[in-house]
Order: sequence, then structure tokens, then C-alpha cells
Amino acid sequence: MGVSRLPIVSTTAPSRAVSGITALGRGVRESVESIGTGYRFVIDVLRASRDSRSWMPEFTLHARTLGVGSLPIGIFIAIFTGIVLALLASYSVGDIVPPYFVGTLVQKTVTLELAPVLTGLALAGRVGANIAAELGTMRVTEQIDALETLTFDPLSYLVVPRVFASTLMFPIVVGVAMVVGVTSGWLAAIGLLDVTTPQFLKGVRIFFADFDVRYGLVKAASFGAAVSLIGCRAGLTTMGGAQGVGRNATRAVVISAVMILVLDAFWAVVWLTGRTLK
Amino acid sequence: MSSVRRTNDFLVGASVLIVAVLLIVTVLWVQQADIGGKTRHIVARTRDVGGVALGNPVVIRGVRAGQVEGIALGERGWVVLKLAIDKGVSLPADPVVLLVAASLFGEWQVTVTDATGIPPDRDLRAALLAAHTNSDTLAGAALPDIAQLTSVAGRIAGDVAKVSDRVQVAFDDKAAAELRESIKNFALLSSELASTVKLQSKNLEHISSSVQQGLATVNAAAANLNHFSARVDSATSRGELQTLVTNSQTAARELVEATKALRKLSDDVNVTQTRLSAAVSRTDSVLRKINDGQGTLGRMVNDPHLYQNSDSLVTELRSLVADLKKNPKRYINLRVF
Repeated sequence: MGVSRLPIVSTTAPSRAVSGITALGRGVRESVESIGTGYRFVIDVLRASRDSRSWMPEFTLHARTLGVGSLPIGIFIAIFTGIVLALLASYSVGDIVPPYFVGTLVQKTVTLELAPVLTGLALAGRVGANIAAELGTMRVTEQIDALETLTFDPLSYLVVPRVFASTLMFPIVVGVAMVVGVTSGWLAAIGLLDVTTPQFLKGVRIFFADFDVRYGLVKAASFGAAVSLIGCRAGLTTMGGAQGVGRNATRAVVISAVMILVLDAFWAVVWLTGRTLK
Repeated sequence: MSSVRRTNDFLVGASVLIVAVLLIVTVLWVQQADIGGKTRHIVARTRDVGGVALGNPVVIRGVRAGQVEGIALGERGWVVLKLAIDKGVSLPADPVVLLVAASLFGEWQVTVTDATGIPPDRDLRAALLAAHTNSDTLAGAALPDIAQLTSVAGRIAGDVAKVSDRVQVAFDDKAAAELRESIKNFALLSSELASTVKLQSKNLEHISSSVQQGLATVNAAAANLNHFSARVDSATSRGELQTLVTNSQTAARELVEATKALRKLSDDVNVTQTRLSAAVSRTDSVLRKINDGQGTLGRMVNDPHLYQNSDSLVTELRSLVADLKKNPKRYINLRVF
């Protein structure tokens, strides 16, 4: 094709095809840009964490708000998860397998998957929305601008303590959810099913490995970090007053929930691929 | 430090501490960790551990008595198992360790049993004998698990399927038709055999009844014989038998002489027959030669020219005789001087 056959771009009125291609390119650029800005945000947070004098006094406050305050919801979810799992195990396998497999199924499912993921999803709504709304409000009311004016680093003062508190307290909530979930499953098994306590404990013990607990806690920590980072970024980028706060809080919850599932699959691929009980 | 911050610190610290302790205690309890030294340890060695994993139960006479605490590769191809046994439990007199599948779902257990109570399997006994040591280490062996058994069963099923295929190939439609025909023939044969057996059974019954009748007849004959013997006995006593015997001797003598005469006559007939046979054979030879055209008579019989010549000769002789009768002087001319 010769140079003379190249289309001549009009400077006055772009055609529909050119507009579509331009929109596609803009979408790609914005996607890549969001990944890049997210990555840069994480790097900035890690860098800001060196200023421990700024975030350390705020840490326990956020740990209490995000973690200790989330224990009831974690326990509530775990209680019903354990009950449902015990009944589901009995319904699914029935008389095909020995009754102690109810204990095995409850222990494995709660510890490896349901306690971290369900609790993480619940906390994504509570913690992610909390952080995004709080920081968003501070952004639209120019409190963050005031901090910057007073030479406070908003990242080390506002973001780092929330991220660290969330990363630490998510495993605490999930750990409690594990114990409560298995306990509620046990109570459901002996109360609602024809399973005795020794049978349930045999099922729990027979395939138990401490790796199960470590796997769940590490997943929970990664969920906590992801939820808090997404919430903080959504809050710090809020624009447009109260409407913008609401919009970014919702966005933070949605992205956090998606990210929890992505991280869940990521850890399964990393730790469970090729791994057997032996 | 404000009171609010202190409260926050306390609550977070307490939460972390309580949850950490709760998790650790729960894990140790579920794993049945030996806290306080309530167990003692024994060591066993095997060539293979099968599906045994850490934490699997150790069973003595069907009762859980501990768990597997360690599995490690040993020297010269052995695997060393470290078993934690509850302190109050005593081992059998001559203990050996069997690693067996506890269920169909992949659970394994370690069974400590007496050496006399192991299954009568030659390979198992050989493995235990090879693992035996003079130290405190127990001999152990792994029994085949369900997967191996099903693998063997699968192989057998494959062989059966092959045999079945071959049988299917051998017994095609034609063979099946022939087989059906054979079965039909066999059924027919069986039916005929049954009828034959039935008939023979009837015959046998008939024979049996005949035999019974014969026996009755024999019995009657025996009775008659007895009666005859009685009569003979009475005849002997009156001298009639002596006369009868004398007459019989005379008749026998005459019969011998008649036989001799008959034999002589027979010898004469034989001689005559021999001569007649020789004459017949010679006549046959002569006739065969005549028939073959040999000799004068043969030629006369078989040569038509001779017949024709003879016939023409006779004709000419007749004309000659007629001419002689008619003209005798032509042929007879008597001159006396």
C-alpha cells in the first residue's frame, strides 16, 4: 500500500469508525493506567510505612474498629455456615460414607475455604465501605488537603495504620470464625443428625493438618490487605461531594469482593496444586 | 497516652492473644498432641508405608492406642516409623506392625499385633521376616490397599473381557447357528434316547416277566424231573430199565453198522463225483477249444466259409448224383477188354 492511499484524518469531524477506535484505545489506556496507579499506590504505602511514628499511634484504634468490631459478624456468619455445612454433608453423602465424614467435611470446608472467604466478603462490605467512606469524606471536606498543608503524609497517617490493622485483624476474625464454624457444625451434627461426638471428632481429626489453618489465615491476611488498600484508594480518589463518596464506597466494596475471589483462586493455585493429604 | 487509646490497645491485644491461644490449643487438641508426656514411643521398620501418613491411628486388637508420629527413610531401603503409644497400653508378646487400609476412603492405620496372628500370606510373612531385627525395632509390612486390589481386579476383568472377545469371535453367527442346530439335534437325540430307554424298559419288563415265567417253567420242569426220577427209581426197581438198556444197545449197534454202510456209500459217491468232475473239466476244455476255434471241429464250428463250402459241396454232390443217375454212362464206363 502506497503512502498516497493512507486515509487522511480530518481535523474537523471524525468519522464513526475513528471515534470507536479512539474510545477503545482510551479504555485500554485507562485500564492499564488504573493497574499502574494501583501498583504505584501500593509502593507508596509500603514506603510510607517506614514512618512508624505517624501510623503506630493510630494502629490500635483502627484494629479495634476494623477487627474487634467485626468479630460479631464473623461469629454470626460462622455459626450458620457450620450448621449448614453439617446438614449439607449429611444430605449429600447420606449413607454412602461413614457418618464421621460429616466432621471431616465440616472441618476441611470451614478451615480451608468458607471461614476465610465468607468472612472476607462480609468484612469487605463492612471494612471496605467504612474506609472508603471515611477517607472519601475527608477528601471532599478537604481535611486531607489540610493534613498535607500541615506536612502530614496522608498515606502514613491515614492509610498505613488501616492497612496494617486490617491485615492483622482479618486473620483474627477468620480464626475465631474457624473455631466457631467447626463447633457449630459439631453441635448441629450431634443435635440434628445421627452423628455422635466421637464420630464427629474422628472425622475432624482423621484428615486434619495444621496446614489447613495456616492456609486459611494467610488467605485472610491477604484479603485484609486487599480490602483496606482498595478502600483507602477509593477514599483518597473521591471527587464530587457526598455523591462521589457513596459512589466510591460502593466501588470499593465491589472491587474488594472481586479481589477476594481472585486472591482465593490465586492461593489455591499456589498452595494446593499438586498437594495431597499425604 | 489517653484512656481511649489504652482501651483500644487492651482490646486489640486481648483479642489477638485470646484468638491466638484459642487457635493453638484447638489445633493441638485436634492433633492430639502429646502435652505432658502421656505416651511412649516405639519404632518399626518396613519396606513401604503404603498410604500411612502422620497422625494415622495405631490400633492394638482393634482399639486405638496411639498415632503415627514420624515417618522417615532409613538405611538400606527401609522406612522407619515412629509410633506414639499410650503409656498404659502393653504390646502383644511378639509384636509386629501391619500397615493396613482402614476403609475404602483412603484412611490407613497401623495395627500392632502378635506375630502368630498375622494373615496366612506367604509374601507378608516373608516381608515381616526380612524386617525382623534383634533390637527394639519392630518388624513391619504394608498390606496391599484397595487401589492395588482393584487394580488387580481390573486386570483380571480385562483378561476376562479379552477371553470374552475371543469367544465372541469364535462363536460367530454361523457357529451359533451350528450350535443351535447341534443343541436341537441333541434334544432330538435325547428325546429318541428317552423313548428308546422307555421301550427298552418295557422290553426289560417283558423279559423280566418272561424270565419269571421261564423260572416258573424251570421250577415245573424240576418238579417233573423229580417226578420222573421217582418213576425211574420205581422202574429200576422192577427190571424194566434193564430191558430198555439192552434194546438201546442193540439199536445202537445197528445204527453203527448202518452208519458204516452209509459212510462207504458216501466214499463211493465222492469217488464218482471226482471222476465226473474230471470228465466235466475235460469236456469243458474241449468245448473251450472248440469255441476258441482251435482244431478241425473248432474251425468247422466257427468258420462260416467252411459251412458255405460244405453247403456248396453238398449242392454240387446232389447235382452230381442227379447227373449220375441221369447219365450213368458218362461216369461209369465198364469195359471188359
